[in-house]
Amino acid sequence: MTNKTAVVGIGQTKFRSKRRDVNIPEMIYEAVKMALDDAQLEPKDIDAIIIGNMDHFEGINFSELWTGIDAAPGYLKPVVKVATGGTTGSSLAICGYHNIASGIYDKVLVVGWEKLNEGGATTGIITAFDPVWERPSLAGALGPLALMAGMYSAKYGITSEQAAKVTVKNRSNAANNPYAHLQMPDITIDYVMSSQVISYPLRLHDCCPQSEGACALIYANEKEAKKITDTPAWFHAVETAHYYTFGTDDKMYDLPTATIASKKAYKRAGIKNPIKDLDVAEIYEPTSWSELSWTEALGFCKPGEGGKLLDEGITQMSGELPVNPSGGVLSTNPIGATALVRVAEAAIQIMDRGGKRQVPDVEKALAMGFGGSLWTEVMILGNEPLR
Amino acid sequence: MSKTRKGQEDIFEIKWKTDLPYRYSIGKLAVKFFEELKENKKILGSKCPKCEKVHFPPRAVCADCFIKMTLDDMVELPPRGTLEGFTVVNYPFTDPSTGGIRPFPYGYALFKLDGADTYTMHFVNETDVTKMKIGQRVEAVFNDELIGDLTADIPYFRIIKEEE
Amino acid sequence: MTDEIEKKVYRGRIKVPYKHTAGAYVEKFITEIGKNNKIFGVKCPKCGEISVPPKMICFKCFEKMEEWVELGNQGTITGFTVVTHSTPVMPLEPPFAYARIKLDGADTDFVHIINEGDPAKLEIGAKVEAVFKEKPRKRILDIEYFKLI
Repeated sequence: MTNKTAVVGIGQTKFRSKRRDVNIPEMIYEAVKMALDDAQLEPKDIDAIIIGNMDHFEGINFSELWTGIDAAPGYLKPVVKVATGGTTGSSLAICGYHNIASGIYDKVLVVGWEKLNEGGATTGIITAFDPVWERPSLAGALGPLALMAGMYSAKYGITSEQAAKVTVKNRSNAANNPYAHLQMPDITIDYVMSSQVISYPLRLHDCCPQSEGACALIYANEKEAKKITDTPAWFHAVETAHYYTFGTDDKMYDLPTATIASKKAYKRAGIKNPIKDLDVAEIYEPTSWSELSWTEALGFCKPGEGGKLLDEGITQMSGELPVNPSGGVLSTNPIGATALVRVAEAAIQIMDRGGKRQVPDVEKALAMGFGGSLWTEVMILGNEPLR
Repeated sequence: MSKTRKGQEDIFEIKWKTDLPYRYSIGKLAVKFFEELKENKKILGSKCPKCEKVHFPPRAVCADCFIKMTLDDMVELPPRGTLEGFTVVNYPFTDPSTGGIRPFPYGYALFKLDGADTYTMHFVNETDVTKMKIGQRVEAVFNDELIGDLTADIPYFRIIKEEE
Repeated sequence: MTDEIEKKVYRGRIKVPYKHTAGAYVEKFITEIGKNNKIFGVKCPKCGEISVPPKMICFKCFEKMEEWVELGNQGTITGFTVVTHSTPVMPLEPPFAYARIKLDGADTDFVHIINEGDPAKLEIGAKVEAVFKEKPRKRILDIEYFKLI
């Protein structure tokens, strides 16, 4: 029997391409302080801290040595570092869950961050892969994502226009999110379609930006959560699926790990029909094409129908299952924080605190992390503890 | 705090370039692969003794069965296969192995070698996407002098034209 | 044997350019040292401790520190070692001392170098004074070294 676990405090920085006014701990502090203030807690109230980023993107190894003290109040407390590539944020979220659900701690702080302008994601990602077989031809994440987009398009006849529509949806959603990096209320399909092809079929605006910023969440068990807020966002399920040795070991037109992780999560959370039972989804779409494919893998529609789902308006703000009201990863990608932002935004929706990006009457929300060699993490949150 | 109101460009920034040499133990199967490539111009994969899945690149563990594969499980694969996916990388980035910008554009593709059950990626000598199509036949192009290094010995795959 | 091992090793390099934003606090600290030969700390509004080098957050109180305090150029050695081996990146020709120094008025120790290589002349509690570089380069070595007084 696991303890009920809820998000009770949320903090995030305004995400930008560069934050040259602050150094790394100063940037993280903004999000952590906001989360503590949100939960009306002091550092002394926090039992443990889980912090994460991808060290080699900034070139500072073992940064939790000092960021976990100055920026996340880890002085004389347990601080644990988590780094799993793109899924870092969701792995952080899940580790935080384990810490509360297991009964070990009552309140934990979960922090994800990245300051991507200080290094380079593409170069950093290459060093994460096998030196002999993968590094020579790998072009960071976008090369394989371009392969995936091309194969997905060829298999199901998904068009560039449909992909462009995803960017339009997400970046115009981002205009309603004060923390989002790229906010484009007036973006058009033409604008996306006329951007440079950077790795066929991906155009510049089919791809996520590189962002700087941090996200912090405070979790509490049932007893503590009720003292802190009237609207905790409860975890109903967390699931992880990793994949083969090399990302290119399998056909790459779909994302089997998302199918596996989401099926398990739905079962745990009692979700029979995701499109009906879920009220909102914050998914990790590094490219516009990915969102179409991932909505299939997550069971929002049948394989090959991601484009149709979008065309029917189901994933729009006004649709049956809005996907990425925050603007998603296409608008904001501070890698170590990205998947944690998905959880934060899902919690914001549950707590009815989304302002202009709020979806009405959210009871169940899905958050997704994607990364590694095609890894997926899926979390379901609800407005009541799962009984 | 008496804030120094300066333009962002003036903010103190430390720049550096790492240059870290490393020695990566490639494992027995990869050693055998490179020996055979260099000495006999052969491409080897590894076949799981349980599920018989043929892995390329060769590796010591079958992820599906969690069973160890040894040198005895290595099988020869033809230097030909099928194009399963492709792109042309057309953006600048620092190649961590050289510290410089990797030359671009370059063709980058997913292949399946005949007889293999896994897919693999490598360079392809085509940067015109209109000339590439999923399902095309491809073959490894070998360098004249073989030294036992993947990209030196097999710099790229080429698309076999239909009339060939 | 060597040959066999050599074959099993792939020799590569990781060469990556990085930059690190030091932040506005370090900016002010370094600029004051270089331009005005002054050393500043910041004071925590809660516990009152003065940190040098300055930083935004008091890690004990988790409070933002905004009060800048000018400290003298003198301090006390709280710990030291003598560097005798030479590498290409040495700030001074060895031997010299690498020390923790508590600047007068500060509550934290500050790590720097002392242009004294004779352990017999160095002791914990000895007074030192900053010697500033004539041509500052916006580096912590704009304090060229500390000298015994």
